[in-house]
Amino acid sequence: MKNLFLLFSMVIITGAVSAQDVFSCRNTRFSFFSSAPLEDIEAKTDKGVSAINVKTGAIYFKVPIASFQFRKKLMQDHFNQNYLESDKYPFAEFKGKVLENADLNRNGTYQVTVEGTLNLHGVDKPYREKGTITVKDGSITAGSTFNIRIADHRIDVPTMVVKNIAEVVAVTVNAVYTVVNR
Amino acid sequence: MKIIAFLMLCTGISIYAQAQQDLSQLFDSTGPAHPKVLYTYKGTRIIMGHSTDMLRKHELDVRVDHRFGDLGGEFGGAKTFYGIDNSTDIRIGLEYGITDRLMAGIGRSKGSGVQHQLLDLLVKYRLVEQTQDNYVPVSVAVLGTAVMSMMSSEEDPHHAAWFGDASDRLSYVAQGIVSRKFGDRLAFSLSPTYVHRNRVGYMDMNNMFALGVGGRLKLSKRIGIVAEYFYPFRSQASRDYYKAQGITFYNPLGVGLEIETGGHVFHLNFTNSSAIQESQFLPETTTSWLQGQFRWGFNISRRFTLFGKKDWKK
Repeated sequence: MKNLFLLFSMVIITGAVSAQDVFSCRNTRFSFFSSAPLEDIEAKTDKGVSAINVKTGAIYFKVPIASFQFRKKLMQDHFNQNYLESDKYPFAEFKGKVLENADLNRNGTYQVTVEGTLNLHGVDKPYREKGTITVKDGSITAGSTFNIRIADHRIDVPTMVVKNIAEVVAVTVNAVYTVVNR
Repeated sequence: MKIIAFLMLCTGISIYAQAQQDLSQLFDSTGPAHPKVLYTYKGTRIIMGHSTDMLRKHELDVRVDHRFGDLGGEFGGAKTFYGIDNSTDIRIGLEYGITDRLMAGIGRSKGSGVQHQLLDLLVKYRLVEQTQDNYVPVSVAVLGTAVMSMMSSEEDPHHAAWFGDASDRLSYVAQGIVSRKFGDRLAFSLSPTYVHRNRVGYMDMNNMFALGVGGRLKLSKRIGIVAEYFYPFRSQASRDYYKAQGITFYNPLGVGLEIETGGHVFHLNFTNSSAIQESQFLPETTTSWLQGQFRWGFNISRRFTLFGKKDWKK
């Protein structure tokens, strides 16, 4: 009976701990920058979402494509209509895992490698990118800048505007997580 | 002991399940609650009339609209290079997005009705936007224009362009535009319109209702077909009177091709109406498709973004 009680308490404790394992961020910021001979293109959004499981290292990002804001709205129109086709593919989604065994319950700044699959414009592609995770008193901040080759995601640029749009776009992501209470 | 083993198994499973839990499930409702349907049309015009699409805040649209002469019929054919030697109407306009829902514009057109040399002011306001989940099933905008003729008055006081008073130069249009996009490629519009002209000829109508229907079919990412038709409700008495004078009124019909070329929207169209202003092509179209009295025309729209560079960098 003693054993049983111990087991029960362990189950409850485990349950409680695992509830604290998942952190989420509902206003994840994404921005991208493309530099081409004729013009620079820049856009940003803070409508992304993200979650991280500090125990398993699982990490997740999702962003509505149509939420990206450009200074030049005509660029935004072309981005949505011609390139990303946000009607058909409304979200970009990344599911991955932190490869290092960093103890994200402890304060510190960790250089990590994240591996996973990005679905963008309906095309899945594996990525392995460097990022930084900072843990401070129970709050977690994550950031990364990485490159996306637009051809990898079947985003076609007609030859007419090839001088306006870069082949490689630098994407920056920033998330400030809070613990998920359930 | 059996129970304990069972419990241990359960615990194991529960921990395993926790570890495997898909983080995406945390966000069942990502994105706005009622996402908007974007880009019902390529620009602020369908062909002759307005669409429900707006300029956005700080956007300046420089427009050149052009209608050539009759392709066939009495004034067309090879001798006028199929109408290209003549231009029936030209409008140069500057339009600006004050907010994402409100735009205003000013334009000067040659005019192709009784009155010429027109200066126009327009205001368009978007009331609602269609949403993808049909929470709002249509987009609705309202348009108001005021048109003033700058021409010198005709000598004959019975003429429709005799201006005894400055107000005789003015015409107004009020229009509602309701549009709906069906799927990815198809859009339809209805445009109930009211035209008021202060000065008209004998037996013509100062006030006239018209109903417009328009649509767009996207062929590819950059090319679409557009079509537009207006039915002006002219009284039978007025129709008959003008018919006896040798003037028949026709309903404006346009078909066109939208071609997007990087930064411009190039609009090639064919219409039987020769005028560009609503206040003229609705009540004063006297040319008929069936008699070769249609023309090719183009609308070129070039949008610039003004201001906001500093705000953007923040």
